[in-house]
Order: sequence, then structure tokens, then C-alpha cells
Amino acid sequence: MNCPLEAGNEGILLDYAAGKLKADARAQVDRHMESCSACNQFAGAQQTVWQALDNWEPAEVSMDFDRRLYARIEQDVSWWARLMRPLNPLFRHSVPIAATAGVIVMAGLLLNRPAAVPVAPLPQSAQVESLQADQLQSALDDMEMLRQFNQLVPDNAAPKM
Amino acid sequence: MSERVTKDMGGLAATLDFDAELMLRVKEGDGASFTILLEKHRLPVIHFLYRMVQNQAVAEELAQEVFLRVYRSRESYEPTAKFTTWLFRIATHLALNSLRDGKHRRLEEHLDDDSSETPVRQVSDQRPTVEQRMLHQSRMEEIRRAVATLPEKQRAAVLMHKYDEMEYSQIAKVLNCSESAIKSLLFRAYETLRARLAHMA
Repeated sequence: MNCPLEAGNEGILLDYAAGKLKADARAQVDRHMESCSACNQFAGAQQTVWQALDNWEPAEVSMDFDRRLYARIEQDVSWWARLMRPLNPLFRHSVPIAATAGVIVMAGLLLNRPAAVPVAPLPQSAQVESLQADQLQSALDDMEMLRQFNQLVPDNAAPKM
Repeated sequence: MSERVTKDMGGLAATLDFDAELMLRVKEGDGASFTILLEKHRLPVIHFLYRMVQNQAVAEELAQEVFLRVYRSRESYEPTAKFTTWLFRIATHLALNSLRDGKHRRLEEHLDDDSSETPVRQVSDQRPTVEQRMLHQSRMEEIRRAVATLPEKQRAAVLMHKYDEMEYSQIAKVLNCSESAIKSLLFRAYETLRARLAHMA
């Protein structure tokens, strides 16, 4: 095996230190390092880094992380979507509902169409005039009868006071 | 449920990881699948962010944003890459923005009062002495400082390589670099860490 450091193949030493090499590749590096102090030193220093990083424990995560996340997701839903949410089941079937409603309305309009109402003939003005003329004639006849009656009655027939 | 699911997408057979399959179910409105994804990836994401920004409160806030973005993106989600690649791309993007915007506390301030975050063993007969605890805390501070001195992309690459056991190719996709660039990035990062932590051998 060529020296990884001389060949510019340090990656294999990084993987060696990380324990990511397959068994046969690892065995090759092991054999090379028996005679290469530079690679040996490199791999040793890299393993020190690896072990140091292993000791870096992260902090505890807040207990309410998920609750806060879901609250933000809920907030993220638009006000319009929240407003319309109760109606979603309706909107899910809105097309058939609208179609059905349209059919019902149309059917209603057709079935309840008002029948043609015969226009009542206007009262003939001649009849009105005729009626007024009769009344006038009757009044004139009454006046004539009174006049003739007055002529028949003598003046001394007036009642004495 | 099978670990890997094969789907036909536009005539091309693509093998989806289980997480991507779950995400597709979230896309179809299955909230339970989102809960499974959250359960599975909550800790890796929070720990990655904590080690990036080195502030637990900020890390949790960023992690909330990560999962919120995952949820928001459900309708446009397409499984073009591994789910974890997509997830860590979001997390890294947010962490780098946070570091650049200076939203997190200064590292020095944090390290001064961060000792309480280190878990303390509760087994009475093996409880470390005060000296051992102080030594442990001192070492932890050194490690944190060493990682914090790395440039942001190097730091992200090291954390994904070390703690999330990602392959070079996946880290490259997360950081939008070539695989050779990631190898070079990691080599320089570990070189710095070897120099700073060599005395811990």
C-alpha cells in the first residue's frame, strides 16, 4: 500500500480513525502503519479528536418542544383556513351539493311558474256615464214632480203658527 | 411497512428511503407520518444545531423552524434526494444564517455559564469528585471552543461527518459542494482540531 499521506489520500486515514473502513482496507492500513510513523502519528491524533468529540454531550431537549412546534404549526394555518375549517366537510361535497341545489331551484322555478292570469276588463266609461245620467234624470224628475205639487197646493193652506 | 419503497416517477424508477415515503404521506395529509418523522429526527437535528450555534435555546428555536419549514413544504415536496439530505440542508441553512446574523449569544458569554448543561451522573457510588467534574467541564469547553473556531462550513461538515455519520457524497449535497471539496474541507477542519486537541490524548 502506498503511503496515504504521500499520495494525498488522507481521507483513508480519517475513515480509519473513525472506524469506517471495511475489514480488508483496515487491515491494509494497519500493515502500512507498522512501518510508517507519519501515518501512525496522524491516525493517533485523529483518534484523539474523535474520542474528544465523542465526549461532547448535547444538552437535554425541552420537554415541551413538540407542544410548541404543534402550536406554531396551528398558528401557521391561515385565518381563512381556520375560519372555514368547520365548513370543510360541506366544501368537500360542495360540487354535488351545488349541482343538486341548482337542479332543485330550476325545477322549482319551472313547476311553480305562475299561471297566466286573465286581465280583468276595465270598466267601461260609458256605463259609468250612463249610471250618472240615470241618477241625474231621476233627480230632475223628482224636482219636476215637487214643482207640480207646489202649484196644486193653495197659499192659505200653509200651516198657521 | 417496507424499509425502502420503489416508486415509478415519470418513467424513472427511483428508490425512496422510508423517510421520503413518510413525507409523501404527509403531503397527502397524513399528520401521523409527520409525527413519526419528528420523533425520528428531532434529536439529531437539535443536537446538530446545538453544536453549530452552541446555544441550546437558539438551537431549539432553529429546530422548530426546521420542522415548521418541512411541514410548510409538504405540498411541494418531491423526493429528489434522501430525506435527511433535505432536512439537514434546511437545518444548515438556518444555522449559518443565524450565525451570520448574530442572533445567538456570543460564544464566550455562553461558555461562561454553560456548565449547567453538562449532564451529571446520578449514580451515587460512581459520582465524580468536584475535581473530576471541573476537569470534565474544562475539557468540554475546550472541545466546544475548538469546534467554534472552525469556519462555519467546516464546522457543519465535521458535525455531519462525526455525529450523523453521513457519507462525503451526502454532506456534499447538503452543503451544495462537490465531493472532493468536502474531503478537502474536512481534512482542513480535522487538521485544525488535531492541533487544538492533541493534548487530550
